Amino acid sequence: MKFKDLNNQKTPVVSIDNSLKKFIELPVFQEKLDKANEVLEKVGLPPKSLKAQR
Amino acid sequence: MKLPRYALIKADDTFSVYEFVSEGPRGKIPKLVKYAETNIPGVFNLAFEDKDENTNEINDLVVSNNRDSEKVLATVVATAYAFTQQHSGCYIYATGSTKARTRLYRMGISKYLEEIKIDFEVYGLKEDQWQLFEKGIEYDAFLFQRLKKM
Repeated sequence: MKFKDLNNQKTPVVSIDNSLKKFIELPVFQEKLDKANEVLEKVGLPPKSLKAQR
Repeated sequence: MKLPRYALIKADDTFSVYEFVSEGPRGKIPKLVKYAETNIPGVFNLAFEDKDENTNEINDLVVSNNRDSEKVLATVVATAYAFTQQHSGCYIYATGSTKARTRLYRMGISKYLEEIKIDFEVYGLKEDQWQLFEKGIEYDAFLFQRLKKM
């Protein structure tokens, strides 16, 4: 499979760059995460019975 | 989903943070995507925005408008495939930083819903209740769960 074909697949080919790891610890998007936690605490997750018919 | 997307995606080796470069009339704008675990184990918040090259900060309210929003969204979706391949069974929670952005995401999901549903269970949050995502309904947030291949 050529590289071009690999990168047309749904899961992309990514190059690893561990300089990005600093963003794991940095509080980037912290407000969004806090808001997500707020919402999820209130509403939880969908019940397991709620699945699309396939 | 065979949509145009940015091919050159960088990721850290935990596949939690991604970077790619949007190219358009406003030049090259680096974008950052981050999956951060919420207080519910296995549920990750998806956030993405412009990365400020000078400060390495994220500006999540800027509208860079590089005329490539679909390509950007397609690239973000690609990172979701990469992330969920590493975190089997996880949920991804996503919402916009503004109502307009949430609506933009909803439109993108609606447009490609049938394809997305091949690989993900898709839920929308409406009036504090999760429901299976349906077109034409305004949701406040979205939740995705990668389906396990049998």
